[in-house]
Amino acid sequence: MSAHAHAEMNFVPLVTPPKKGRFSPLFILWIVGLIGALGIGLVSAVHVLFNGLGVTNLNNALPWGLWITLDLSSIALGAGAFTLSAAVYIFGMKQYEAIARAAVLVGLLGYSSAMLALFMDIGRPDRFYHPIIYWNVHSVLWEITMCVVLYSTVLVMELVPIIIESTFLHKYKLAMSLSHRLHSLMPLAAVFGMGLSLLHQSSLGATYGILTARPIWYSPSAPVLFILSAVAAGPALTLLVTILTGKLLNKQMVPDNILNGVARLVGFACLAYLYLKLWSWAATNYYSRVPDRALGVEILDANTPYNFTFWFGEVLFGALVPAVIMLWGRMRRNRNLLMLGAFMIIAGLVINRWNVTLSGFVIPMDWSPGVRDVLPLNTYSPALVEWGVAIGVVAYSWFAFTLGVRFLNLYPEARAIRRKSVLPAVVIDTPLPIIEAPIVVSVVVDENPEEPIVSLADEDKTPDESDEKEI
Amino acid sequence: MSDAPSETENTPVEEIDDSTLVTRRELMTLLIGAGATMVMATTLADPIANLANDILGNRPKPSSSPYHWVMVIDLSKCVGCDYCVYACQATNDTKPDMRWNIRVEDETPQGNVFHVTRPCLHCHHAPCVEVCPVGATYSRPDGLVVMDYDKCIGCRYCQTACPYGARTFNWLDRNDENPLVPEWGRPEVPRRPRGVVEKCTFCIHRIDYGLANNLTPGVDPEATPACVNICPVNARFFGNLKDPNSTVAKIINSRPTLRLREDLGTDPSVYYIPPEGLL
Repeated sequence: MSAHAHAEMNFVPLVTPPKKGRFSPLFILWIVGLIGALGIGLVSAVHVLFNGLGVTNLNNALPWGLWITLDLSSIALGAGAFTLSAAVYIFGMKQYEAIARAAVLVGLLGYSSAMLALFMDIGRPDRFYHPIIYWNVHSVLWEITMCVVLYSTVLVMELVPIIIESTFLHKYKLAMSLSHRLHSLMPLAAVFGMGLSLLHQSSLGATYGILTARPIWYSPSAPVLFILSAVAAGPALTLLVTILTGKLLNKQMVPDNILNGVARLVGFACLAYLYLKLWSWAATNYYSRVPDRALGVEILDANTPYNFTFWFGEVLFGALVPAVIMLWGRMRRNRNLLMLGAFMIIAGLVINRWNVTLSGFVIPMDWSPGVRDVLPLNTYSPALVEWGVAIGVVAYSWFAFTLGVRFLNLYPEARAIRRKSVLPAVVIDTPLPIIEAPIVVSVVVDENPEEPIVSLADEDKTPDESDEKEI
Repeated sequence: MSDAPSETENTPVEEIDDSTLVTRRELMTLLIGAGATMVMATTLADPIANLANDILGNRPKPSSSPYHWVMVIDLSKCVGCDYCVYACQATNDTKPDMRWNIRVEDETPQGNVFHVTRPCLHCHHAPCVEVCPVGATYSRPDGLVVMDYDKCIGCRYCQTACPYGARTFNWLDRNDENPLVPEWGRPEVPRRPRGVVEKCTFCIHRIDYGLANNLTPGVDPEATPACVNICPVNARFFGNLKDPNSTVAKIINSRPTLRLREDLGTDPSVYYIPPEGLL
C-alpha cells in the first residue's frame, strides 16, 4: 500500500469505529517515553518533597540553579500566546487565529510548567499561595507571582472555549453559552494578557537586573532583554511545534502565509534582541570599565564556558543565524530550515537563561574590606534528582501538548496534504470516536476534491508575496 | 448633549470631509484635555508622589523609635579566636555550615593579616527586605531586620540579593546534635523548620527581654547579643546609636569606622574599626 493510499484511507474513520492496535509504533513509542519521563519526574519530586531541597546540589552561596533556568525558559517560551493573541485581537490580524489557539495552549503549558518547577523549588511548597495574601509590592518577585497567576487565568479563559467546542461539552447549552461569553471577552483578555506579560516577562529580567550586589547582573537592559528574547522565542516554539505537528500528521496545520508572518515577527524580534544585547555588552564591557564587573567577567572567562556560550550559543546561533533564516524569504520557505531556526532560538534562550542565572552566582561576593579574595568560587552542576524533576516537567508539557493536538481543535484551518510522505501519519492513524475537529476538516477536504489543496512541493515555486503584506 | 446635533448642523463640512484626520472640535477637545491634564498633574504631583511612596516605598520611614541597635566590631583588636562564632552557634542553635556569624581572614594592602567577623549587618536599606515577595523579612523601627518564619516560602531571593551572604537556608530537616551545647551556651530560640531562610537577629530575644525588664542592651549581659558578651578581647560593642552616651555612639562619633560595601547604599548597622593600614 502506498503512502498516498494509506493517507487516503485515514480520512474514513470518522464514520467507522476505531480498530484496535492501530496506533503507529512511533506514536506508541512517544507516549511510552513520555510516561516513563513523567514517572522519573514523579519519583524525583517525591524524593525532594519528602527529604527537602538538601538533596539538590544547591547551596547557600548558589541557591538557584537548573529549576530556575527551567521556569525562566518555560515562561519565556510561553510568550507566543500573548504575542499572537495581541496580533489577533488588538492589532486586528484575524488571520493569525489559525495559529493563535495553538500558541495559547503552548503558553498555558509553559506557565504551568514554570509553576510546577517553582513549586518544587521553593522550600515551603505548602505556602505557595502566600504571595497572594501577603503582599510586598516593592518586590519584583511578588509582582511576577501575581502576574503569572493572573495571566495563567487569562490563558485558561482563552483555552476553555477551545476545549468546549472541541469535546463532548459542546452538546451542553450551558457550556456553549459559557464558551460564547468567554469568546466575546477575548479582546479584553488579549489586552490584559499583553499588559500582564509585558510586566512579568521583563520583571523576570529585573529579578537579576536590580541586584546591585552582583555587578554582572546589575543592568538596566536586563528587563528589556528578557521581554525581547521572550517575544522571539515564544512564537518560535509555537512555530516549531506547529510545523512539526504538520509533518507528523501529514497536514498543513496553518496556511503558509501565517507561518511566514510569524517567522518574520520572530526574525524582527531576534534583531531587536540582538541590537540591545550587543549594545548592552559594548556599553558595559567594551567602552567602559567597572572594576567589579570586569573582574567578574575575568573570573567567568577563566573558570566557565560563559564567554563561548554567550557569543556562540546566545548571539551567533541563538539570534543572528536564526534571524537570517526567519527574514530571508528563500530560507524561510524551507520548512526544515525554519524549524531549525526556531529550534536555535529556543536553545539560545535556554542557554541565555542558564548563563544569566549562573554567572551571577559563580562569581563570589566580595564584602570583606581587605585586599584578599576571601570567598571561594562557587560551582554547580545539577544533581540527578534535579534533572529528574526537570525531565518530568518537560515531559508533562509535551504530553499535554500531544493530548491537545489529539483532542482539541487547535488548528481550525488545518488541511490534509496530498503528497507522497515518508513520515507515517501518526495521529490520524489512531482515531478515537470523540475526536472530531481535525478529522472533520479532513472529510471536508475529501468531499470537495476540486478545492485547491496546498502541497509542500508547490511551495518553493510560490512567491512569498502573500506574507509581505502581513507585517 | 442637546447642543451636539445643532453643532453638527452648523458645521456640515466636518461631517462630510472624511479626509480630515482631526476635526477642529476634536483638536480643541484634545488641547483642552491635555491642558487640564497638565494642570492637574502639576497640582496633584506631590500628593500623588507621596501616596505612591507610602504604598510602594517599602523603605523604613524615619522612625520614631528611640532605639537604633548597632554593633561595632574592632578589627584591630580581633584575634580570630572564633568565640563569637561558637557562642552564636550555640545560642541560636545553628548548624556548623549554617552559621549566622562567620569569620574570614583578610589582609591589608601592606600584607598584614586581620580577621573579619560578619553577623547580619541589619541594613537600613536592606536588599533582602526589598526583594522578599511575601514580606517575610522586614525592618523593625529600631533598625533590626527580622524574619517571620511562618510567612517565608523559601524562594531564596533574599539570599540572592544579600550583598553579604548573611542568610542561610534550611536545606534539610534538623535532627543533629549541636556539638557546641552546652560548652558555648544553650539554645535560646527554637530551631527553624526545613525550607525557610534564617539569619542573625542581633539576639532579638535578649534585646526585647532586656527592654521589658529595664535592662540596657549593650550594658547588661542578659540583654546583649551572645557574640558581644563572649568576646575575650572586647572587640565587639553593642548598643543604641540614638543614645549619645552609649559606647557605640561614642565610638562611632569619635573614631574612624567603616561599613561593608558602603558603595551599595545599604546603610548597614554594623560598624568596623579598621585594622592599622586599612584606612
